[in-house]
Amino acid sequence: MNHKLNTYRLMLLPYSVWSVLFILVPLAFVGYYAFTDDSFSFTLEHFTRFFTATSTIANDDGTTQEVRTYVLIFLRSVRLACISTFICLLLGYPLAYIMSKAKERTQNLMMTLIMIPMWMNFLIRTYAWMTIMQDTGILNNILESLGFARIRIIGTETAVIIGMVYDYFPYMVLPIYSIMAKMDTRLVEAARDLGCGSLAVLRRVIFPLSLPGVISGITMVLIPSISTFYISQKLGNGKFLLIGDVIEGQYVANNLHFAAAIAFILMVILLAAMAVVKYGTERYVYGGESE
Amino acid sequence: MDKIIELKNISKSFDGETVLDNISLDIYDNEFITLLGPSGCGKTTTLRMIGGFVQPDQGDVIFMGQRINDVPPHKRNVNTVFQKYALFPHLNVFENVAFPLREKGVPKKEIKEKVDEMLSLVMLSGFANRRVTSLSGGQQQRVAIARALVSHPRVLLLDEPLGALDLKLRKDMQQELKKIQKSTGITFVFVTHDQEEALSMSDTIVVMSEGKIQQIGTPTDIYNEPMNAFVADFIGESNIVDGVMLADYKVRFAKHTFDCLDAGFGKNEPVDVVVRPEDVDIVPADAGMFRGTVTSVTFMGVHNEIIVDIDGFKWMIQTTDSVNEGEVIGLKLDPDAIHIMKKSKYSGMFGDYSSYSDELDELSNPGGEEE
Repeated sequence: MNHKLNTYRLMLLPYSVWSVLFILVPLAFVGYYAFTDDSFSFTLEHFTRFFTATSTIANDDGTTQEVRTYVLIFLRSVRLACISTFICLLLGYPLAYIMSKAKERTQNLMMTLIMIPMWMNFLIRTYAWMTIMQDTGILNNILESLGFARIRIIGTETAVIIGMVYDYFPYMVLPIYSIMAKMDTRLVEAARDLGCGSLAVLRRVIFPLSLPGVISGITMVLIPSISTFYISQKLGNGKFLLIGDVIEGQYVANNLHFAAAIAFILMVILLAAMAVVKYGTERYVYGGESE
Repeated sequence: MDKIIELKNISKSFDGETVLDNISLDIYDNEFITLLGPSGCGKTTTLRMIGGFVQPDQGDVIFMGQRINDVPPHKRNVNTVFQKYALFPHLNVFENVAFPLREKGVPKKEIKEKVDEMLSLVMLSGFANRRVTSLSGGQQQRVAIARALVSHPRVLLLDEPLGALDLKLRKDMQQELKKIQKSTGITFVFVTHDQEEALSMSDTIVVMSEGKIQQIGTPTDIYNEPMNAFVADFIGESNIVDGVMLADYKVRFAKHTFDCLDAGFGKNEPVDVVVRPEDVDIVPADAGMFRGTVTSVTFMGVHNEIIVDIDGFKWMIQTTDSVNEGEVIGLKLDPDAIHIMKKSKYSGMFGDYSSYSDELDELSNPGGEEE
């Protein structure tokens, strides 16, 4: 017993070393940089700057407006990420359900089709969307040849959202699908036996049981899409900077301390959000006392 | 008693394999009826057909005079206790039992009353707020029964509900199910492969094999008057030997002519003779009607189970006498110990105790399936 325990500890050792070196130490550095200035003495100035820095932007009607730069960008990131996540869920949930009901061969084929884009570099995918959505791009050429007017997509929030949905869609489908695929079909039969029509089965059994998949799908899409960058630069023509772009920009400009502070704030907010989700899941998804 | 369910000439096959072969069965109101048979005999398919999960290829399912072949499960006044319970893991005990009532839009107060009443019927009062995943197998079983009974269906279908429980708990649940069936007056259709379970609980037993009904009758009928070698072998232990009916009440087997209580066979008609192991008397070698050599003795607690070689045919005998391996003993049969059956396609397949299981027979006789 003891011997066995030691073997497991030994096997765990490389992973522990890895976690300390490449997860905990870097996190500590982020924290350290966030709370220090260029001469490495303690300061809160980066946080103050994040919440108070202002800049002037021009409105569409020619007037100008004073805004809190980073708060505005942060809220925009959250808003676009939420919209993308919601669209991913709306498109992904039915797909996951249909997939889980299909024949095994069809399931494997659909799975492959969903995965294939993930095998291609994210930059290439983003450039591909540029070619599609440009003013003289594929989409507009098709529209024109069908007799419609050209539309302006590139450089709009819509373009950024399309890019994000496309990139993160598999991360929504896969966890929901994996929960649905192993869902006990006898529970569905039991629900039908106890008086549920198809819609009621979906609402009262399938949906609540798939919630853990939905929640991990949301987490896996929302978090990377809040901190995403580059998509906004390329598909939004740089007009809709996201918080990830700001961190990148500050880093490139060698403002390591401020970049670390933004990353730190983002991390704290995401952790808090995840804690709320986890609490909510345990409280409402798996009802009842355990003893 | 009124017929509540009629199955008329039902056939069903899956992927070209016949699962049910033209079966007809009447189920009466208020009875405890058991579908008994080995796995693959079609008993579960029959149950699922009554529940509405399987449609017959041919034939009709009649429920209280109405043909219900095309009525979906949720519109049938029939509920199922599933194998391994199929409780909803996201709901607590109370909500599991309340599930069908909420679907019907029963008022909250009434739901509370009915669920509490059901939980006390299955002796789970005080468990209402528990997670179903925290319950033991026996407790989950009770929740499943309460959930299936709460909306008072006319018929309750039970698909091997006790299979996952240990022996003692299973015996308790058998008693309790019988009690619940009596007190609620609901017709129970019970599926099992356990013949003891079937004998101890049922009003009527339907013995099935290979998609066909072999025999329908009360437990005592089925045990004492099995219709063919399959039923005789499946229900309890049986020695089944070839015999010839010399005349009414006279049968010849094991090189000896016996008096029996059966009549109505043709003169010199070949028959299967069933002798239950507990009905053979052991006497000194000279005093017996016939004799044999003891080849094995197994102590079973209440009795000894001995295998006796009689002219190459291995008989099983249960006795409280003590005998030794290799001993030659005499055997005596009273007329009521002998049961005569017509020859069937199962003749010669069962009833010899060279080994207990078909599996061992096949192992010691490879290629036997090709016969």
